Amino acid sequence: MATVSLSKAEVAYIKTSLEATPPLRSDGRGLYDYRTIALETGVAPLANGSAHLKFGQASEQATEGTEVIAAARLEVEDVESGEGVNGGRISCTVSCSPSAYPHSSAAAIEDIQHDYTALLHEVISHPSLRPSNLSILRDLKSWLLNLDILVLSDAGNIYDALFVAAQAALWDTKVPRTRTVEYSAATSKARVALGGSGDMDVDSVEQSGFNVRDVKTAADFELEDYWDEGEPLRGGDAWPVCVTLNLYPPLYYLDATSTEEVATPSRLLVMYSFPADQPPRLQGMRLLGPSEIGLPLIKTLTQTAQTYATDLSCALRAKLKDEDLRRTEKARQRFASVR
Amino acid sequence: MAQSGSDRRRITGPEESRAPVFDDEDSVPWRIGEPRRGRGAKDIRPIFLKAGLISQANGSAYIETQRTKIACAVYGPRQSKSSAYSENGKLNVDVKFAPFSCPVRRAPLRDAEDRSVSVLMHQALVSAVRLELFPKAVIDIFVVVIECDGLDSCIASGTVACSTALANAGIEMLGLVMSCAAISVGDDIWLDPTGEEAENAVGSVILACMPALSTVTSVRQVGSMPPATAMQAMDICQERCTDIHQVVAQALLASTKNSE
Repeated sequence: MATVSLSKAEVAYIKTSLEATPPLRSDGRGLYDYRTIALETGVAPLANGSAHLKFGQASEQATEGTEVIAAARLEVEDVESGEGVNGGRISCTVSCSPSAYPHSSAAAIEDIQHDYTALLHEVISHPSLRPSNLSILRDLKSWLLNLDILVLSDAGNIYDALFVAAQAALWDTKVPRTRTVEYSAATSKARVALGGSGDMDVDSVEQSGFNVRDVKTAADFELEDYWDEGEPLRGGDAWPVCVTLNLYPPLYYLDATSTEEVATPSRLLVMYSFPADQPPRLQGMRLLGPSEIGLPLIKTLTQTAQTYATDLSCALRAKLKDEDLRRTEKARQRFASVR
Repeated sequence: MAQSGSDRRRITGPEESRAPVFDDEDSVPWRIGEPRRGRGAKDIRPIFLKAGLISQANGSAYIETQRTKIACAVYGPRQSKSSAYSENGKLNVDVKFAPFSCPVRRAPLRDAEDRSVSVLMHQALVSAVRLELFPKAVIDIFVVVIECDGLDSCIASGTVACSTALANAGIEMLGLVMSCAAISVGDDIWLDPTGEEAENAVGSVILACMPALSTVTSVRQVGSMPPATAMQAMDICQERCTDIHQVVAQALLASTKNSE
């Protein structure tokens, strides 16, 4: 994680300026301010959903930023013989580009990306967040959603960036429409109707819910030929956002840059999810770094983190809806005006 | 480590293997709303803990909570292998699952999950050990999971064993680190879940703390929980850690009496 090494004097300088009144940060932000976040969805044409995210866009003060690309790909899995499970599953991988960690050895980078992967995977792919439309054929086939995140550069606060990018890519993901194909022994009547040939029958959408035996007979599926890429991945409102509180107990601050991160080794990660019409839920919490804090402080920190998570989540939702608009209606208008 | 491909001296097991399922096994699945089977919701499994059983290590401990069995050895403080100077000592935690430790066989050389378990144990222990006393030195902790029943409680028990072994090695610590796992099932919170119980969980919490200083060194929560429930689970875990502290203190006392 240590991309930069700081001297003791530098660490003390950062610490005292954070503890000063009013607190001072090198880029002029307040303690609880985020850097500007730039987000774009649909950047990888071959993926089912993708997003490009940058924390701290290139501006006068900050030339570097945390840059992350997330992409989701769907794969069909066998439930019977393969690793698939009924209802589908999500698998997350984070890979770090060596240019993001120029001071780390290859082995260290491998460890870093393993840690990021483990943390993201245990939160995002938890069964409680599983989208309801990842199933294809019960007991036979299901979708495996591979969420791959590439860290292009790390200028601090990588965890928040990972979760925002993951949410944006999952929001953008379209699941291809499928319909089941089943083989039915044609009755004599049907044989006449079909002209004596063809025992393959494609079932229609309206299927009797009571006809339990019919469900089992579906043997395979086919992709529907339709003009769009499929229906959006469900459960889009439940994806969590992560808020990293960098701790100098009892003081804390948000969105640390890489130098501040080195000066503040202990942090509390809180992942909140805000499903529609439901109270907010805690989806993950992690204490990192050598820190000993009392349980009462953890409780108050978790509560305050909720307000920041709400803000971040609202802003992200608004941006994602705006992105959807940009890519559909506005693109259409632009196309129409050119024509 | 895995790049060597296959180890010719090792008997290659089958690609995958699973524990047999017997006919007479109680197969009625637990349902939401039923009370917990076998013990109370806030009960933990009885702990057997023995310090100092690996004679060549500086300190060691063996912990057993019914079907979770973990051995742990501490070597050091000893000279760091790397030539780089470090002002503080380093704590290495290396967790290894025995191939036969889980219902699904674990391949001997691959270590994918092991690292995330070691990271959690390291996180729990690192703030308790006074590493500033050992510049340029390294403390190695080797944990072998002989049998694992529930990964969350395995991590918690492993942490307890590690801190016992550290104390047994005579390494200065600010306090003994205790750890306890909890899951949320229905409206209830169950402590120290077994693997079977963890399957019903919607969320889980692992808390590591130093009861002597009443500070928390590690929190890990996953799954979906209302914030209030998670806090409640942490409170209960911390309370139970005080009880585990007694067990550890007793085990350490017994080992020093034996060695005299």
